[in-house]
Amino acid sequence: MADGVQEILRVTSLSAGYGALRILHDLDLTVLAGERLGIVGLNGHGKSTLFLAIAGLTGWQRGSILLNGHEVGGTRSQGPGRYTHRVVRRGLALMPQGDEIFHGLTVEEHLDSGAFTPRAWRERKPRKARILEIFPPLAKLMAVPVGRLSGGERRMVCLGRGLMADASLFLVDEPSLGLAPKIGRSVMQALMNIELGGAAMVIAEQNVSLLEGRVDRIIGMHVGKLKGEASVSLSGAARAQG
Amino acid sequence: MDIGIIAVNALTLACIYGMLAIGISITWSSLGLVNLAYGFMFAFAGYGAWQINAWCSAAHLALPPVATLAIGVLCGALAGLLVCALAFIPIHDKPNFTMRGMVATIAIDLIGTQGLLWYFGPRAKSLPEIFGYWQIEYGGIVLTANTAGAIGSSILLLGAVLLWMKSSRRGLEIRAMMMNPHAASLVGIGVRRTGLYVMALTGGLAGLAAVLLSQTYYVSPFAGFTPLIKGVSIALCGGLGSVAGAVIAAVILGINEAVTAATIGGQYVLITQFALIIAIIVVRPRGIAGILDRAREA
Repeated sequence: MADGVQEILRVTSLSAGYGALRILHDLDLTVLAGERLGIVGLNGHGKSTLFLAIAGLTGWQRGSILLNGHEVGGTRSQGPGRYTHRVVRRGLALMPQGDEIFHGLTVEEHLDSGAFTPRAWRERKPRKARILEIFPPLAKLMAVPVGRLSGGERRMVCLGRGLMADASLFLVDEPSLGLAPKIGRSVMQALMNIELGGAAMVIAEQNVSLLEGRVDRIIGMHVGKLKGEASVSLSGAARAQG
Repeated sequence: MDIGIIAVNALTLACIYGMLAIGISITWSSLGLVNLAYGFMFAFAGYGAWQINAWCSAAHLALPPVATLAIGVLCGALAGLLVCALAFIPIHDKPNFTMRGMVATIAIDLIGTQGLLWYFGPRAKSLPEIFGYWQIEYGGIVLTANTAGAIGSSILLLGAVLLWMKSSRRGLEIRAMMMNPHAASLVGIGVRRTGLYVMALTGGLAGLAAVLLSQTYYVSPFAGFTPLIKGVSIALCGGLGSVAGAVIAAVILGINEAVTAATIGGQYVLITQFALIIAIIVVRPRGIAGILDRAREA
């Protein structure tokens, strides 16, 4: 908590994996309030596993995860998802890769389901209106079952559901994956336009050009470890020169 | 052969089996548990209603008939919570839960029904008449008090449950779990607490079915066995996880049972029932829900 800037997330020596497979190797990460952080790396190097481990959804994990000062990690050898709802109530909104949607619920029910905390549930109407401002195409689709939407629309629903919560940490896993480049860019733009306030957002992405110049920091990920950090002022300056 | 009688019988059976099948279907799709302890929950609710009636009459308290229904529903819900506490909460996140859950619920069923046999003895008990002895006659169709009461109360309770699932926040949680348990935990839905709701709810449905069936049959430790088999097979036929599919399957199999009993004899019911189910599953492997689904999966 140095310098009065609040730490939203502090991960120390986190290892995680599935069965005999170890994917994260003693990883450290700190995310400050109000910052937008990009994590870039190739397929299979642990970006998604890092997010799943923060949510307690990996096969096993060990290491400390402090979310808003509360320990949500620890050592766990089985039972993925057992405590996920508690982590979520501590202020985590995970928008997973591959659209974890409820295919039979309508878009509106979907957004409601994201508003889990009592405060979010009371305020769900204004919040839904705000989501529709961020993703205008959803306004026409509120009564349609999500299973009938296109990939881009599903991604918007999935992100909108995450934004309904009282979250202080948004983990967005590959928001542009599987979308046409134009739609991917507009989804990314919508993410950048969201007012974070005291919250923080971490975006995992393979396509560095989508993040460059728009996030506060970019960290590379390679074989289960975080490598090389660049603040955006630096990469922005580099671009201005080049 | 009287079409009126067959129609009334079919509707009654459809209501009672429908409640069981919907319970099994919801449990499977939201918790991933094939609840084979349904027979025990069924018998437990029947015995609970009988026991409380016996205590009340020993204390010279006259219970209103509707109270018997309510007690049956509550005892069923209690049995559901018991099954949840024993077979869901301790093992739901362990590897291979589907198989373990099935084994655990069969064990609860066997131990539970033997326990009821040990405590209450082998003699069947009969519950007091709930609906009285009146009857309505309309256009040659006779509705006795029992059938009218069974149809009315099961439609009422089912309607209430479905409305609750459609409109309330807990209902939204349960439906979300039915569609994608992984995503449900991501939006902060506690799997165990939802498990308790689901099991209490399905137990209550089983309890009502038990009390209603005991108006025609008796309460006995193994009374739940045939309803369990029929409930599971109807749930399968409707497509596990689909409430609408289960209702349609219950109506089809109710008609089948009534027609079979009226034409070739009641002892052949299971044969025609399974032949029909196999035929449906061969044509539609996902059951009737495969025809109904509006949204494509995943």
